[in-house]
Amino acid sequence: MKSLFRNCIYQGKNLFRDFGFVFWSLLYPIILSGFFYVAFSGIMNMDFKDIDIGIEEGNPIQYILEEIDILKVHTISRDQAEEKLIDEEIKGFIDGDLNLIVNKSGINQTIIKEILEQIRQMERLNRPLENYDFQVDYILNKNQEANMIVIIFYSLIAMVSTYGVFAGIVAVSLIQANLSHIGARINITPLKKYNFLIAGVIVALALNLFANGVLILFIKHALKLQLFNEIKYSSLFIFLGNLLGTSLGILIGASNRKSHGVKNLMAIATTLFLSFLAGMMSPDIKVIIDKKMPILGGINPISIISNNLYRINLLGSTKSVREGALLLTLYSILLLFSSYMFIRGRNYDSI
Amino acid sequence: MVVKVRNLVKRYKELIALDHFNMEVEEGEILGLLGPNGCGKTTAINCILSLLSFDKGEVEVFGRKMTPDAYDIKQKIGLVPQEVSVFENLTVRENVDYFCGLYVDDKHLRRRYVDEAIEFVGLKDYVKFYPKKLSGGLKRRLNIACGIAHKPKLIFLDEPTVAVDAQSRNFILNGIKELNKEGSTIIYTTHYLEEAEMLCKRIVIMDNGKDLVSGSKEELKAMITTSEKVVVSFTSISDEELSEMKGLPHVIDIERDGEEYIIKFESGINNLTKLLEFIKEKELIYTKLHSQLPTLNDVFLELTGKELRD
Repeated sequence: MKSLFRNCIYQGKNLFRDFGFVFWSLLYPIILSGFFYVAFSGIMNMDFKDIDIGIEEGNPIQYILEEIDILKVHTISRDQAEEKLIDEEIKGFIDGDLNLIVNKSGINQTIIKEILEQIRQMERLNRPLENYDFQVDYILNKNQEANMIVIIFYSLIAMVSTYGVFAGIVAVSLIQANLSHIGARINITPLKKYNFLIAGVIVALALNLFANGVLILFIKHALKLQLFNEIKYSSLFIFLGNLLGTSLGILIGASNRKSHGVKNLMAIATTLFLSFLAGMMSPDIKVIIDKKMPILGGINPISIISNNLYRINLLGSTKSVREGALLLTLYSILLLFSSYMFIRGRNYDSI
Repeated sequence: MVVKVRNLVKRYKELIALDHFNMEVEEGEILGLLGPNGCGKTTAINCILSLLSFDKGEVEVFGRKMTPDAYDIKQKIGLVPQEVSVFENLTVRENVDYFCGLYVDDKHLRRRYVDEAIEFVGLKDYVKFYPKKLSGGLKRRLNIACGIAHKPKLIFLDEPTVAVDAQSRNFILNGIKELNKEGSTIIYTTHYLEEAEMLCKRIVIMDNGKDLVSGSKEELKAMITTSEKVVVSFTSISDEELSEMKGLPHVIDIERDGEEYIIKFESGINNLTKLLEFIKEKELIYTKLHSQLPTLNDVFLELTGKELRD
């Protein structure tokens, strides 16, 4: 126990002072979150009030549109419409056949399209337009878009929760005589290999959880984004992400004799690719995968974490918590078992 | 016997790194493992320490078979590896304390041992430095401190002076003598024959994974035919005179090295006197003349047909 504690302290110091760790686990996620915030802040802070819309005089749906709070209806001719669309005085124009004419696409145009679609559906169903539900909150569309951006941040947190991968790589290379000089030195001491490795895993989890905490505080206080309404299950998934990342790092570290830099690149490539599939670069990717290959979203660990964070915190649903947690635990066990197959050898064919 | 190695064979596919290698180390001695780069010295050490698997042979340390989980044997061993093997992000003191702590649990005793090791290698002024801030020589000293702080009974030093400045080298060599005086048995690998001559009580000469010969340096030198060498620089000498010189009693060979002639004698008495009489008789003029005993390089040369530093 004493030896484990000493190993934790010294491995912790060694890792925490490592520039690679500080950059990839602590600074890089903050830089990335800042970058995402700047890139998507236009969408997140968009004002959805008074969307200017043009309509021809005498159009039967004019009075419906005028009843919708977020729309500002202008009665104009078709010729005027083209000019106003170019000058961006109106976001869209609805002609007599209920076709929407826009000059460019965007969230405002999407909202108008949604409203128009509902009116068309009522027409097709021969329902009187007087029954139009003015309580429908079309701003939900805006929320939907904004929530898509939140997916990016949940994906980012999911990704960095797996950044224990770097510490995992370090921990295993320090104990394998065929991977590092220190490994060879430690192997001839009375220290048991598993003792050092357990300390490495504890340190990796502790420091990466700390880095995750720093990122979440940065998002909350510096970017002013409230992502977490629920702590218990959110923490569980972040912890499981850390366990998975560390286990993956141990496997990457133990399974090959490439240089430390190459192993780090392998780790970055793996986590970045899984995060890409989980919608970190563009939420559309996630939408496409969920539509075309739902199984992929279901087994991608970053998706499991980001989806659950999303469901738990935004939808208040814990329906998939058990399944997700079990799957992540299973992944970690499999990764650790595979790593064990590589590091169980007690002496080496070559160093 | 502290270490006993019998018929050790280690193969890397087609390459035979150790070819029925034998070695015995007695308690309290400094044993030199001498051989050119790539001859298998480090492989031998790694096999003895159970870091490397081997194909054939037996290794005993402190009278017991050495295995990777022989932790009680490992407790008595210290290793100073060829490569500097320390944590780059721990300070000098933290590094020494970490490695010492793998052997010594008692906090107070460990503190004393760490202080002594740091003092011993002369790094007292650098305790808060990170290894990357140290020069090559100081790093090597730290590498040594990490291997010896726990006061092991058996120390393996694998080429500890490679790429070290003269000052640090002397410091290290004197330190090794000191460790031996304090009771540690030392196995010292090197390809520097001067170091082996200076330090070691017994020497094992290795080449191509084999132990060629072993013994004290006097015993090794007695094994070869050359017992004395005289080096002379003549202002001029004819081929006839040279061949007459070759006919002198006990002369084995005469080699030319630039301006110098190296005249090799087999064992005999008054070799130098007879040579000087010949020079006087032929009225040869020389600018330099000195006699020297054979070196370990001569031993290696005669055994393998190549220079030790080839």
